Amino acid sequence: MFSPGYAWNELRRRWARTLVTAIGLAAGVGLVMGIIGVSEGLSDAQNRVLSPLGSVGTDIIVTRTIAPTTDKTSTTTTTTPVREVVGPGGGGGGFFAGNVPGASLGSSSQAATLLNNNASVITDLAKLGPAGTKFTHDFFVPGTLITFPSVAVSDVAKLPDVTSAVGALSLQALHESGTVPKITNKVKEGGQTIKTTVTPPVLTPTQTANERACIQKLVQGNLSKDSGTSGSSGTSGSSGPSGPSGSGGGGPPPGGKHRFQIFVGGLSSNPAFEKCLTPAQISYNQNVVVPEQTITQILKPPTTNTATSSYTVAGVNPTSGTTGLITKSQLVSGTWFTSNPADEVLVNTAYASTKKLKVNGTITINAKNYKIVGLVAPTLTGDVSDVYFPLSTIQSLASAPKFVNEVLVDVKSASDVAAVTTEIKKELPGATVLTSKSLADEVTGSLTNAHKLANDLGGALAIVVLLAAFLIAGLLTLSSVAKRVREIGSLRAIGWTRGAVVRQVIAETVGIGLVGGLIGIGIGVGVCAIIGAVGPGLSITATGLTVGASSVSSLLGQSTTATATTIVHLSAPVHLTTILLAFAGALVGGLLAGIAGGWRAARLAPASALRDLG
Amino acid sequence: MEANPTDTSGQAPAKFAGAGAPLYELAGLERTFSKGGMVVRAVRGVDLVINSGEMVSLEGPSGSGKSTLLQLLGALDSPTGGSIRFADRDLAGLSDKSLTKIRAQDIGFVFQHFNLIPTLTAEGNVAVAMFPNHVHSHERLERAKELLNQVGLGHRLNHLPSRLSGGEQQRVAIARALANRPSVIIADEPTGNLDSDTAKEVMATLIALRESAGVTIVVATHDEDVASLTDRRVRMRDGEIREDSAA
Ligand SMILES: Nc1ncnc2c1ncn2[C@@H]1O[C@H](COP(=O)(O)OP(=O)(O)O)[C@@H](O)[C@H]1O
Ligand SMILES: [Mg+2]
Repeated sequence: MFSPGYAWNELRRRWARTLVTAIGLAAGVGLVMGIIGVSEGLSDAQNRVLSPLGSVGTDIIVTRTIAPTTDKTSTTTTTTPVREVVGPGGGGGGFFAGNVPGASLGSSSQAATLLNNNASVITDLAKLGPAGTKFTHDFFVPGTLITFPSVAVSDVAKLPDVTSAVGALSLQALHESGTVPKITNKVKEGGQTIKTTVTPPVLTPTQTANERACIQKLVQGNLSKDSGTSGSSGTSGSSGPSGPSGSGGGGPPPGGKHRFQIFVGGLSSNPAFEKCLTPAQISYNQNVVVPEQTITQILKPPTTNTATSSYTVAGVNPTSGTTGLITKSQLVSGTWFTSNPADEVLVNTAYASTKKLKVNGTITINAKNYKIVGLVAPTLTGDVSDVYFPLSTIQSLASAPKFVNEVLVDVKSASDVAAVTTEIKKELPGATVLTSKSLADEVTGSLTNAHKLANDLGGALAIVVLLAAFLIAGLLTLSSVAKRVREIGSLRAIGWTRGAVVRQVIAETVGIGLVGGLIGIGIGVGVCAIIGAVGPGLSITATGLTVGASSVSSLLGQSTTATATTIVHLSAPVHLTTILLAFAGALVGGLLAGIAGGWRAARLAPASALRDLG
Repeated sequence: MEANPTDTSGQAPAKFAGAGAPLYELAGLERTFSKGGMVVRAVRGVDLVINSGEMVSLEGPSGSGKSTLLQLLGALDSPTGGSIRFADRDLAGLSDKSLTKIRAQDIGFVFQHFNLIPTLTAEGNVAVAMFPNHVHSHERLERAKELLNQVGLGHRLNHLPSRLSGGEQQRVAIARALANRPSVIIADEPTGNLDSDTAKEVMATLIALRESAGVTIVVATHDEDVASLTDRRVRMRDGEIREDSAA
């Protein structure tokens, strides 16, 4: 027991000492509150940004992207002009044309498919009209994601331990305006006659003998009437009679014994010899005529005044508000898709603020108005798009009916994630399977660093600050006890036990701790408010899932990093537990100081009250 | 509450036989201090009997051992030799706890420097002495008020020591010393810090209360005027009793 009245009077009548000690403790616990606040702020920010999949009930995202090894292939391909043969069945297909269910997922074919899909944006420009026509058009291209046939969604949904699987379509939208460029260069090819020197087949000895006999007969018949011909026909004329040992001018013989070289043209110029030749030799004596065709070359990049801006779009199931790329819980303002959602969109808050879009406003795409029913704040790693359409709307905008490029899977329990991941990889070979954990692991940026720092350093700092505060309080209490030697000695003299004196000192310092706790909470709340007000922005970068602008960008000669970066403002929330912790900390500080002071007081001899101590 | 001899004996009937009976019996009492190799015999073989109800003064020059002897009488310290009996108990070799209990119940102190608690009012200072004896707080305040009235400070109940004169502070100390109805009041140079007029007032207060409360008083002083007010004068020098007016 202690005397509360005495303690109270001691505290209030020595208010300066009380306040100094209390403020020492208060500063300590206030700072610790700030540290805890920052740490919790960072945790909150991370949870908000990093664990989106968990928060929307999606555990796994399945996509198909081109494997990194194909990057080289695709770039070399894109540096050469894209050739397209104009003709029936050519050029008109959407970018999903090449995507046959069950088609090989080999990386080179993926790359080629994707390239074709993304390239259609360029060929499509030509369809907007003749070169020079003014246009504004939005093209939808798949970026780096390859589509799944919608059957993939139901296949995944059938896997054991899967609660649900929802398809979504994430696309890169290119908003182009300008004049239709002259992007094609028609080249006429063919029609030429190609003169070819051919080496006729080697003749059998019998054929050679026959031919020679025939020619000799003719030569002998002709020599008498035209001797000049043999001179003008050059070596062929003279080599003929010279026999197999003779060497012609047409290059080294391949080593055949019965080699007989002739110039087909030379012989044919003398029709008289033709009747001596074998039928095989006669068939080579023809011109090759190449068939005529027109090749359209697409020039890249098209030289035009076209202004291109890109944004990302996604198609989501409007009736599923709990699972998907976005959920009702991410709705910031406005409403979710209505029951008739075909012409409705949800817009990302970030995109809305840069484009100054408001709820109930409209977005015009390819001459059709879409009503903005709500603004959503999708989480960073969960594939962020700028505009969300009902799935069927975006499928028709992109001429890709029944296709999705993301499957969002919900599993029964977290422990099933690994098993289901394996199953999906088996079911859809080549698919990229991302889990919330793998996504979070790929997140980088100052936020993660800061959180790590807050965890590593903050804890140590909090302990140091708290110990320093305790030490200050303890020293102040010790000095106070030393100043009260006569007072404490007198108490002992008039019958106060050691225990009573110690308890009294502790009661006083715990009282100081109480005051310090209250002031400290004030300081802590203030510190947290200041941190919240002037807190630095922390960037966080997610590379986990990218509906990459990268391929399209490279097609258009732009370069964009395929990462999503979000700036999170550091705030330091004050939770009730923090307040209680701070208060308890101050009380513990007071208690420890009291124990130190009490220990000192207990050692004072009662006789010290009688001593002449100034 | 009326203060009279029956009150005192009524409070502690077993402690001593009553007025006139020996309260203290000291035989060959020694108190030696060892300080840095130096040995100081502050009290040397003191034989002394103090009867209940007596008012004894200890005189002697500075360093003669008055305070040391008072500490032994006041159960603040233990002797290094000899025996000291107080109210039929041997104080030598008692634990700090037992000595503290004896002080709380049976001994009052008045100090040269008053030694009041600076943060407590006159009333609070008197009341705080009763705290170890588990007296209820309202009862403590009642008794404090009564005692302060007796010492003539009924109008200063809520004054802090800093707002009281030296004489008033010492009268608060006397009230505090009487709070637990002790058998004895140990006063070490109670007028040492007071001018002679105030000293007289304080001594008058002490003597008046001694009579009404029947309390034994041992007062150390080197003030001749103060000593002359007591029944029995004991002179000390070098830790020994040189003269005892009762002998
Ligand atoms: N606690 C102590 N430690 C060492 N020496 C002491 C102590 N108390 C008193 N003394 C010594 O004992 C002697 C008697 O002192 P004291 O009893 O205070 O004398 P007085 O009160 O008559 O002036 C002195 O020499 C003093 O120095
Ligand atoms: Mg002295």
